[in-house]
Amino acid sequence: MQISPHTGSQLVDLCSALLLLTCFAIVAQRRLSACVDLFALQSAFLVLTAALVAFLTGNPHIYIAAGLTGLIKVIIIPRVLKKVIERLNVKRELVMNINVPAGLLICGALVMLAFFITQPIIPLGFLLTRDSLAIALAIVLIGFFTMIARQKAVTQLVGFLVMENGLFLGATAATYGMPLIVELGVFFDVLIAALIAGIYTNRLQDAFDSVDTTHLTVLKE
Amino acid sequence: MSPIIQSLLLVTAQVIVLLTVSPFLVGLIRKVKARFQCRQGASVFQPYADLAKLFRKQPVISTTTSWIFTATPYILFASTLSAGLLVPTFTTQTPLNFAGNIIALVYLLALGTFFLILAGLDAGSAFGGMGSSREAIIASLTEPAMILSIFAIALTAGSTNLSTIVHKTALLEGIATDPSPHLMALAALFIVALAETGRVPVDNPATHLELTMIHEAMVLEYSGRYLALIEWAAGLKLAVFLSLIANVFAPWGIATTLAPTTMGIGLVVYVVKIAGLAVLIGVIECMFAKLRLFRVTDLLGVAFILALLGLLFFYILRS
Amino acid sequence: MHILLIALCLCYALGLVLPFCVPRKPQTQGIVGSVCACAASLIGITLGLSGLLASEPMTAIVASPIPLLAFAVRLDPLASFFVLTISLAGLAASIYAMGYLKEFHGRVSVAALAALTNGFLLSMTLVVIADNGFFFLIAWELMSLASYFLVVTEHEKADVRYAGFFYLVMTHVGTAFVIFTYLILFQSAGSFSFDAFRHPGQSLPEGMRTLVFLAALIGFGTKAGIVPLHVWLPYAHPAAPSHISALMSGVMIKTAIYALIRVYFDFLGGQCTWWWRFLVLLVGTLSAILGVMYALMEHDLKRLLAFHSVENIGIILLGIGAGMIFQTYGLKEFAALGLLAGLYHTINHAMFKALLFLGAGSLVYATHTRNMEEYGGLLRRMPWTGLFFLIGAVSISALPPTNGFVSEWLVFQTLFLSFQFPDLFLKLMLPIAAAILALTGVLALACFAKAFGISFLALPRSAHARHAEEVPVAMRIGMGILALLCVGLGLAPMIVVPLLDRITGPLTGVSISDKVLALDGWALAPVNMEFSSVSPPMLAAMLILGGLLGLALAFLFGGHLVKRYYKTWGCGINLSPRMEYTATGFVQPIKRVFSTIYQPTIKLETEFLQESRYFSKQRKFEFHIEPVFEKYLYDPVVHVFMSIADRLRILQAGSLHLYLAYIFVTLVVLLLFAV
Repeated sequence: MQISPHTGSQLVDLCSALLLLTCFAIVAQRRLSACVDLFALQSAFLVLTAALVAFLTGNPHIYIAAGLTGLIKVIIIPRVLKKVIERLNVKRELVMNINVPAGLLICGALVMLAFFITQPIIPLGFLLTRDSLAIALAIVLIGFFTMIARQKAVTQLVGFLVMENGLFLGATAATYGMPLIVELGVFFDVLIAALIAGIYTNRLQDAFDSVDTTHLTVLKE
Repeated sequence: MSPIIQSLLLVTAQVIVLLTVSPFLVGLIRKVKARFQCRQGASVFQPYADLAKLFRKQPVISTTTSWIFTATPYILFASTLSAGLLVPTFTTQTPLNFAGNIIALVYLLALGTFFLILAGLDAGSAFGGMGSSREAIIASLTEPAMILSIFAIALTAGSTNLSTIVHKTALLEGIATDPSPHLMALAALFIVALAETGRVPVDNPATHLELTMIHEAMVLEYSGRYLALIEWAAGLKLAVFLSLIANVFAPWGIATTLAPTTMGIGLVVYVVKIAGLAVLIGVIECMFAKLRLFRVTDLLGVAFILALLGLLFFYILRS
Repeated sequence: MHILLIALCLCYALGLVLPFCVPRKPQTQGIVGSVCACAASLIGITLGLSGLLASEPMTAIVASPIPLLAFAVRLDPLASFFVLTISLAGLAASIYAMGYLKEFHGRVSVAALAALTNGFLLSMTLVVIADNGFFFLIAWELMSLASYFLVVTEHEKADVRYAGFFYLVMTHVGTAFVIFTYLILFQSAGSFSFDAFRHPGQSLPEGMRTLVFLAALIGFGTKAGIVPLHVWLPYAHPAAPSHISALMSGVMIKTAIYALIRVYFDFLGGQCTWWWRFLVLLVGTLSAILGVMYALMEHDLKRLLAFHSVENIGIILLGIGAGMIFQTYGLKEFAALGLLAGLYHTINHAMFKALLFLGAGSLVYATHTRNMEEYGGLLRRMPWTGLFFLIGAVSISALPPTNGFVSEWLVFQTLFLSFQFPDLFLKLMLPIAAAILALTGVLALACFAKAFGISFLALPRSAHARHAEEVPVAMRIGMGILALLCVGLGLAPMIVVPLLDRITGPLTGVSISDKVLALDGWALAPVNMEFSSVSPPMLAAMLILGGLLGLALAFLFGGHLVKRYYKTWGCGINLSPRMEYTATGFVQPIKRVFSTIYQPTIKLETEFLQESRYFSKQRKFEFHIEPVFEKYLYDPVVHVFMSIADRLRILQAGSLHLYLAYIFVTLVVLLLFAV
């Protein structure tokens, strides 16, 4: 099936926009299980984007990366996190460092910032995914912001994973994917990080009877 | 026939279509909710019977009220109908296209809201005041989102007059064929529509508990023909928003010329589209619970950001 | 036209002198002063209109023996427009005063009040027609002094004295910056005449231009009431008598707008970097949103209206700022549109703000209290005041078919036309400003729904409100004139736009009247009819016909109307005013949602019954919003000045010998230098 480059570029833009939408949904969510579900949805969109890029450019190794993403980020990691949430019996984020509307406004400003920064680069690009680079940077910034704005360890982990999603999108957009070896290394790192975070959350719970990372300041002594 | 007669006929036709279709939409949403709740539900045409009954009943007017109370139903009806005449329904050749654009639409609806807030305060009961105060904050937060989202769409058509936007989109002229800004603006406008028409998750129109009411609390004291006019105006507002969403984002099928056959097809397509949207609203009402008042502000903040993103995407992705 | 001008000055002069010639009869004093002001205002209206329609601006010069000062006046279209605005408001206020001054019999000198009103109106007129910088400054200072004395009319009250003092200090800080602006222009022009300012002004070096721009913004901005220089407004405007508040809020702050337009468009020729124009836009947006937010929290009706003046000045500056930004890119038509929108909003605001202040004055006259929480149910006892206040409230909320809608529509369209800019930053900032403007508009709607609803609807909340009487005829006529103008200016933009175009044409170099008026004048279009259009008369017709249709349908389906009256259901308890929503309660959700801006502090104290901790005997609720500007900007500055003054106090030892010694030393030093 032949898709013209113009349509292909638009489809990739559409998928990236959907990715960004899920980012905002995560920032606006208070329920932890919903955050994890949205992250799974976001990863699914990411798989779709990567598969689309692979189809349009004919680079088969992106399919493998997409498949790995699907396996790890859509199935394994959300399962792990859901188990952690169940064990901890924590349902929602009660106190936010930054309240939702202010957080949303800051995220909007971050998106604008990302666009302004990448503006000089974009016209130089010739790839059909050049607009996605700006969105990728925006997703990384929003993920980082989520880590700052939230107190529960689980949501902070989700923020970290969102950052990683953004990096993957950026790599796909800028250079049609990283070398496979690098991708594999990154995936395993992320998997280990998630498992470690799961373990440390349990330890937090055992030590402080809560998963508020603000309690860690007690260690300052 | 002379253009003036033609315009008059078109305006009359639009008035009749809007007035006839609004109670049907309300009934359709109620039917969908009933089915989801495993009930038969009342007939889809029940709101017509309700209106007829209310008109015939004798209104009871509170002794503490002033002329604002009895004037508000007419003002609300007039302003919502006028707003409806600015939106293209089954044809893009609305004769009153020159009379107003998005801003005029938003402010006409605001005129109705203003008087409804006053009417809520007029009876002197605490429930009315509560409804008015909540309506004030919700209206404050929906307007910026609504204006930004329609502006994002207006940019693709190069005009803020609604008929022109729909006409150009229907003829596929001038749109960037880039779906991302439209997607964001659609999401924002849909949330705004839910908020302005008082649907779950912002406000539950079927509640009996006054402490959970927003729109219903303001009209608690109304009865008889006044209540009939207000209910009809609420249905009209729903029809206006659904027409706006259907025709601005998916205008295909609308009549772009004045030929009778295209107008007939346009009418059928129009009714099908807004009925479909009404069913969607019914499904959403069943899927979600009503939000606490101060969580609604979070939702409306999301709508505003989405509209802003739509605008941003339009400018960035276009280059 | 010269004759008209002389007649105008004569009438005001009579108004200054005659009230004092009728001693011991405050009634006549008031009427005499008001009649003189009326006559002068009528002449002023004629003068303004003829100046707008004239093909050549009228000039007149009376030389004076003082060097650099010449009593030069020039009535170009811009000045005539402001003369028209001042006179219209002055007319309504002086008719109103004929009844209102009864309030002051025996308490203060009515003669002084009437004379000062005349002086105030005269000085404002002179400010806008002055053609010489020195003359302008004299008139400006006279205006400030006249208004100060009017503000402290009720000087027995401590808070009135404080308000007057604060106003005096702030207005002189502003005047200092204005003097600075004119001195810079004088330095490069060599003379104080505006003509001389104009030519070098357009070729001043970059640094000087920026300096003039900023100094003018701060100087005139203080008088206009932009954030953060607005703090004096909520003190001074409520303290003054209501018809003076109407004049101060309606026209005095507009003279600052006149001066700003004069400096930016006329003297500087619209040449300055776009950063500064963006600053005007930014200041406008901030003033608009903060003004309305603080207004929402007020329950003193006049303070509420004062904050709304801040908001509307913000909207005017939004229009003008957007126009200026268009000018940087050479898009002259849109620049003219922005300026036109700003000017249209100027006259609209003058009309509806004066109307609202006169209405507030009527409420205070009838109930002897300014606290909104003590009003209620006044629509039945004061139907005319209520109707006029409602028209004013609908106008300020920018709802069709009134004038507020038309001017806000024009400002919105100017902001929406931002897609013409090549710069992405501006393309995004202006629609965001439009979104903030939308938020402002709807918050203003909420605020006036509160103001009108709590004051006029439902049951009276206090004995004052229960015994309120409708105000005298003169006051009603004054309000009625303004109400008619509000509706008229809204339904007939086709008359106003060509007049305004005569002003914007020379200032921006292009005339847009025929492009803005589409369809033979029945519709307004922002230069390009394809982009959008609105037809206020058509909208009004649609609304009226819609209402009639509703009536027809009700009659058709329901037959003849037979109403039944009964009391409101109060859950089984007799309805009392204590059950009604209060103004504070009405804005509570808004306070919570925007709590980051308000930083409210809430105190709730409960005193329980001796017998049981479950029943409370008494509750005290206190709620304050943080006065951000006063706490973080003004108080530190005042603190610094006070500490400097403390240090300098050492010089004032109180000893006579020391002071003689100071004089002696100075004398000796001067003699040495002379040699």
